[in-house]
Amino acid sequence: MLRYRFLFEQMVRRELRQKYKGSALGVLWYLVNPLVLMGAYALVFSVLLRVAGGIPDYPLFLLVGLIVWVFFSQALLAAAPSLVSNGALVRKVRFPREAIPAAVATVQLVTFLVMLVLVLPVALLVRGTVEPALLWLLPIVALLFCMVLGVSLAVSVLHAHFRDVEPVLAAALLPWFFLTPIFLRVEDLPGVAEREWLAGLLQWGNPIAPFVDAVREVLYAGIAPSGGHFAYLAGVGLLALGGGLLLFRSMERDLAAML
Amino acid sequence: MSEGLLPGEVVLEGASRAFRVRQDRSRTLKELVVRRRHNVAQASVQALQDVSVRIAPGEAVGLVGRNGAGKSSTLSCLAGILPLDSGRAGCGGRVVSLLELGAGFGADFSGRENIYLNGALHGFEREEIEQRIGDIVAFSELGEFIDLPVRVYSSGMFLRLGFSIAAYLDADVMLIDEILAVGDESFQRKCFARISERMAAGSTLVLVSHDPGAIERVCRRVVVLDGGRVSFDGDVPAGLLHYHRLLGTAAGASRKVPAEERRPLEVLELELRDADGHPRRAFQPGEALRVAILLGSSEPTDRAVVALEVRGERGEKCFRTDTTLAAVAGEVEVSFEIPRLGLLGGDYDIAVGAYVQDAPPSRGLDRLTRFTVTAVTDGEGIADLRGSWSVAGRPAAEEALR
Repeated sequence: MLRYRFLFEQMVRRELRQKYKGSALGVLWYLVNPLVLMGAYALVFSVLLRVAGGIPDYPLFLLVGLIVWVFFSQALLAAAPSLVSNGALVRKVRFPREAIPAAVATVQLVTFLVMLVLVLPVALLVRGTVEPALLWLLPIVALLFCMVLGVSLAVSVLHAHFRDVEPVLAAALLPWFFLTPIFLRVEDLPGVAEREWLAGLLQWGNPIAPFVDAVREVLYAGIAPSGGHFAYLAGVGLLALGGGLLLFRSMERDLAAML
Repeated sequence: MSEGLLPGEVVLEGASRAFRVRQDRSRTLKELVVRRRHNVAQASVQALQDVSVRIAPGEAVGLVGRNGAGKSSTLSCLAGILPLDSGRAGCGGRVVSLLELGAGFGADFSGRENIYLNGALHGFEREEIEQRIGDIVAFSELGEFIDLPVRVYSSGMFLRLGFSIAAYLDADVMLIDEILAVGDESFQRKCFARISERMAAGSTLVLVSHDPGAIERVCRRVVVLDGGRVSFDGDVPAGLLHYHRLLGTAAGASRKVPAEERRPLEVLELELRDADGHPRRAFQPGEALRVAILLGSSEPTDRAVVALEVRGERGEKCFRTDTTLAAVAGEVEVSFEIPRLGLLGGDYDIAVGAYVQDAPPSRGLDRLTRFTVTAVTDGEGIADLRGSWSVAGRPAAEEALR
């Protein structure tokens, strides 16, 4: 992978340019989406339904979860068609094809990092304290990226083989969003109080949920993840990356004839 | 890139590759799920069948064939883009491919940024590209366009950039598909000169082209593919002849004029041939060239005049001659023999006309054919005077060596 660092850098620059067309403000527009969602959900859950009554600074709580989710979902939706839309490149030039979905996922990471940098001072201001637990953000985000990268590799090569992966993904992401503890922590959901197995399933059966939770606990509450929680993140992140890479390698052989 | 090959060596061994006919559309999940066990085997097209070609470092090989003969598939396999079903395909050392104009460019990148991107795609590092970028930009002659996004480029400009990158990355093997045709004459000539330089430096070229002139200018060997198989592998004149037989046309010959359009005396065909009588479009200075003219008269004529003129790139007259024939009836072949071509490198036209004496033609010398003299000697201008310098009685070359 190191051998191709320069190629990777060039591909990321190409994606970034394509996405933002060189406009400095371009990346800020991507803040609008989570901010609008934040406003709407804050209104619904905090004001109208009043289920989030016990959570202080609820908009911040929402926003932190939302930016993790937006990173995850946007990266997947962008990565899935990436090999197909770069078909001309795959058919006419020899280079490691992983570079395409990896560059797409990395561009989403850049957007995510910009949002983190913007949300971080807001979070510190709201809480009024700075804890060493904030340093946990670095390994958590690194593992989150491993997970997103692995899944991006997988969905891109799967979509090249079976063109309905992207619509299936788009359809799955909406219910997935609602089953991810973004509005409330799992333990605060009224419906799981008497069903412990459901709480466990929602918390650990959904691989993105522990990442949302970990980033939120650090950023919103200033609490470091437990050892078990972090081990889960590491396991999911590395497993997804390894699995995604393996799947990509085993399915990329005839891409040039397929696209 | 392939193991066990010398830098610049290109090998195809029993290479076979088939395509599923409906490969344009990939499977959907539904097809995967409902596919029956005893499904009819999908029809496939054999793009390459047991192709074996071995090319030594420094060779320039032209790959010709009809549409669908497997030329582009061969290049894709050699570039390592398309896997083979069986056999082996590989290039030794670094490979640069130019298979499609603008492939591997970012539309929102400037020409300069695309040089880095394209270099990176071909496996070059930043420092290697920085060393060459001056040459690449200069060769492309893109001027201020080099810093504009390539989405504003014309196809000729894409070629300029793409070829300059490929030609100056100093790869061991260059794989070029039919793209040079997009360039204008002067840029094409520069490309061919640069390719010759690369060959001299030991690089290998595999060029796909439908243009016999291009093949003659740079290649010393031709591989003709037909139906995915090698149907000829050998020297250029015989290869092009073979290819034209496949196409069902005679090489280099201009179209026969239907009888009703005929004037009293007319040039029906015009062809340039080499010393062995093979049709050719490219010659070296000093080679023999024969202009074969097929003359037709609709009524018997005495005192027929055939005029021939050699013109330079800008239409300037290099040479003119004519001859008077005593009697012409029906079709007769006239030829003009040049034992040693005394022209310097460049493109030339030969214009030929025929008319009845005392009744000069209204249309002038209206049969034209173009040929190229490949530059091997120094000197500028048109005439190759074969002179040599000496200093104090010693040949200048020896003097310089001292």
